[in-house]
Amino acid sequence: MDAGTLALLLSLLRLTTPLCIAAMGELVAERAGVLNIGIEGMMLVGALVAFAVGVSTGSGLLAVLGGISAGAALAALFAAFVLWRGADPIVCGAALNLFALGATGTFYRVLFPPELAHATAPQPGALVFVVLTGLLVLGVGLFLARTRLGLALRAVGERADAAHAQGVRVLRIRWAATLFGGACAGLAGATLVLWIADTFVEGMTSGRGFIALALVLFGGYRPLRIVAGALLFGAASALQFRLQARGLEIPYGLLLMTPYLLTLAVLALFASRVRPPADLARPFRPRV
Amino acid sequence: MRFLCMLLALVCLACERSQDAQPEAFQVGLLTPGSIRDAGWNQSAYEGLLRVREELGAEIAHQVTRTPQQVEEGFRDLAARGFELVFGHGFEFQDAAAKVGREYPDTVFITTSGSTVRPNVSPIVFELEQATYVLGYVGASISRRARLAAVGGVKVPSVASTFMAFEAGARAARSTVRVSVSYIGSWTDVSAAREATLAAIAEGVDVLIHNLNEAAHGFFQAVRESEGVLAFGANRNQNALAPEHVLASATIDIPQALLLVAREVESGSFQPRSIRFGLRDGVIQIEWNEGLLARVPADVKREADALVTRIKEGALEVPRAGF
Repeated sequence: MDAGTLALLLSLLRLTTPLCIAAMGELVAERAGVLNIGIEGMMLVGALVAFAVGVSTGSGLLAVLGGISAGAALAALFAAFVLWRGADPIVCGAALNLFALGATGTFYRVLFPPELAHATAPQPGALVFVVLTGLLVLGVGLFLARTRLGLALRAVGERADAAHAQGVRVLRIRWAATLFGGACAGLAGATLVLWIADTFVEGMTSGRGFIALALVLFGGYRPLRIVAGALLFGAASALQFRLQARGLEIPYGLLLMTPYLLTLAVLALFASRVRPPADLARPFRPRV
Repeated sequence: MRFLCMLLALVCLACERSQDAQPEAFQVGLLTPGSIRDAGWNQSAYEGLLRVREELGAEIAHQVTRTPQQVEEGFRDLAARGFELVFGHGFEFQDAAAKVGREYPDTVFITTSGSTVRPNVSPIVFELEQATYVLGYVGASISRRARLAAVGGVKVPSVASTFMAFEAGARAARSTVRVSVSYIGSWTDVSAAREATLAAIAEGVDVLIHNLNEAAHGFFQAVRESEGVLAFGANRNQNALAPEHVLASATIDIPQALLLVAREVESGSFQPRSIRFGLRDGVIQIEWNEGLLARVPADVKREADALVTRIKEGALEVPRAGF
């Protein structure tokens, strides 16, 4: 493999991995019937916490754990509103995204004031994150398709009442699925500062959480299709940067649009048969 | 519950603002389009604001305004509180400055770029092109493959203009040089900046310049990991961000410029006009990385210095986009 192809492949991996991680978390949450549009904010908070922990301890492992915990903590807040208090998940998710954008900016400026020298986070290496992502996709796929608990989780997303009647603890499963989704979003954020870039920047997620959200839907709620969609998006992004660098006389706006349009078009071909979990975003109130 | 969620969101938006002001003293405000931790454009403006406080004893206020609505609100908020001078840090602030300027004739609105002049509204025009022209000349002279690239955030006229001058300078040194320009469509997407930079390097580019805000960290990360690649910093001295690779930075002494304008306004001598600052005023500078100067042949350095002198004397007009 020549150097140019290798560079393209690495670029593809960097552009794809965070999307896959965040999308796997969202997949599990949505299959349990929880629509969490706040993953963009959870990624951002995960990124900041991973960065702060990484800079202060110098440990990549602690930074990853910090990012995961931060994402899960924010997901717990979301779950408290949505699952416990029965609030509208769209409103809460949107509020959470705004909260995360403002709060990370403020905390970043407090923790790393402009007078301070530029800091970089530890870099555990690409391999760690690629292997972790592979295991995550495999684990989520097997869990959903092959385990009793996975079956129960899908039942909770499809027919919460029926699952409840069968003795499945609906709210407990939804809480766990939401926390798992938040943890994955936090990990995706940590990946951004520990591998994809080496520092934190306000708003650095740049909509990746929303792309992951769209991939889950258009990937038909199936792990491998979601990964395929993410790979397609990553490949198109990597290629368009190469095309821009080649100096083609195409307006850059069009090139920047290509990954979105292409992914949308290809996935839309399969999307006609996509049926979201029947009880997605519906509050569950057990009649005791 | 919805109410609580919205309240939470509002509280956080409010956190974006930081301000401290009392009446009586000379009051100077600043709106920046992004974080003041970008080690570039926005951070310099904030340092300028601190300098105005230090030298003129002014009361200062700063806000981050990311949308046109926030910009208008920010201008209005500061003007209503009786600020004598408000800076809007960028080209995108001029429409709001003209609009709010009509409502508050006692406040002077300065945008750091643009062309809109009103009785109490004026743009500062930083002729950064003068420096990027010279850097383009140097870059083309030392590039082994005659391949240069520029990576920008969003294609706004002020950014496109610095790249245009960079390319013109490169052609003046070597007519066969190829200069490609990429944009990442964002000011904050560090990852995209890194990918765009690595893509250019994979295409054979060995000298690069940028015009990015916070996302510049991705540009320098990419440069640091690429052997044999040289780069130029922009807007402020970024030589230390990749000391083995950054040959020089085209810098704007934004603090100095803001201070000069604030002095005029404070003393009452301010006249509305396009306030131009270039190499001659010392506001625009080329700051070399002493550790890498050995990589520049002596005759190239001499030619670069001669270009700077000619530009200062007005003998050489550097091309810039009209905006």
